[in-house]
Amino acid sequence: MSADTELNEWLEMLRAPDVSERLVAIKMLQHLGDEDALDPLIAALQDESSAVQKLAVTALWELANPKAVPALVECLASTDEGIREEVLSALGELVTPDHLLLLLDALHRDDANMQLNVLILLRKIHDAQSLPYVLPFFESENPELREAAVTTLRYLNQVERCQEAITLMSDPDKNVRRSAALTLGHLADAEVISSLCQALTTDADWQVRRNAAKSLALHADSTAVPSLETALADEHWQVRKFALQALQKTPAEQTLPALVKTLADEYSDVRRDAAIALGILKSPIALNALQQSLDDPDKDVCIYAQRAIQNIHESTPETSNA
Amino acid sequence: MALTTQRVDVPVIVDESKCLEKCTACIEVCPLDVLVKNPETGKAYMKYDECWFCLPCEKECPTNAITVQIPFLLR
Repeated sequence: MSADTELNEWLEMLRAPDVSERLVAIKMLQHLGDEDALDPLIAALQDESSAVQKLAVTALWELANPKAVPALVECLASTDEGIREEVLSALGELVTPDHLLLLLDALHRDDANMQLNVLILLRKIHDAQSLPYVLPFFESENPELREAAVTTLRYLNQVERCQEAITLMSDPDKNVRRSAALTLGHLADAEVISSLCQALTTDADWQVRRNAAKSLALHADSTAVPSLETALADEHWQVRKFALQALQKTPAEQTLPALVKTLADEYSDVRRDAAIALGILKSPIALNALQQSLDDPDKDVCIYAQRAIQNIHESTPETSNA
Repeated sequence: MALTTQRVDVPVIVDESKCLEKCTACIEVCPLDVLVKNPETGKAYMKYDECWFCLPCEKECPTNAITVQIPFLLR
């Protein structure tokens, strides 16, 4: 059978009244990968069967023809969750900066699923022109849209200031605050550091506190040191760990007692980062505590304690000669 | 005593109620050609127990009729 005959046979079957025949036809057209099947496959996105629609999305994804993108964008508002997920994955690979206006148009549609998925796709384009279109979602009543919008902000190039993102640090939804805390790590507003420090020490959700510590590590701002020192006594070990990683970027002599104390933390990850921080601080006062960490049950902690001791000795030659 | 006509302990299990007679997706994607159609029923089945557990048959089936049972030590 020639390729054209085979193609026509499956295209004919795609119009069959029986759903199972249409399913078979789409699967076979997907395997053929013939560009002539593009328009029939786009038409199949409107099929009455959601199974056929989903397979059509997969087939168009494999064909990877940009002509299918507008039709696929329409499917982002599908009522079927499986189709929405498949389209989102497909468009994640197919959208290019050329589709920015198309996506921004779709963002105006009064459909939460469409808006949520478009906000996610805008992260692939990184274009700062999207900012005025994303900002209104910071005040959406839907917490999922607020979270998606503030996360998208993190992916936009050249956006350094956004006062609206700081206000989301006091959002009632913890997921929004978690995303906002990570986004603030990429902004340079004057209030970012104080807002992150407040979240690090007072937020009720430990993941918000941890994300605030992560963002403070990116900023490496010495004014955050007192808050980071307070966070070393946080009840959650991940907050202590990331606070230590932030302190490694901004070594301060005043944190020495708190760092030495965390060398005896119950979690080895925390003890390891404490040893690294003390190695960067290079204070001979920490030598005794680091010597004790050489007997730590965790091998990683021993290695980093040894390196920290070596760092201290190298920075104070008279100590090593003694 | 009842006799079984088909092995049931093969790793690729086809749910015949979902398998489409005209579909050959699983047969085409199998790198070892171990899947065939039963000429009587038109349903796919595993003829040779030589599976690599590579899973395209399960993934490509348009009706999710195929389940590949991966041995415990390969999971």
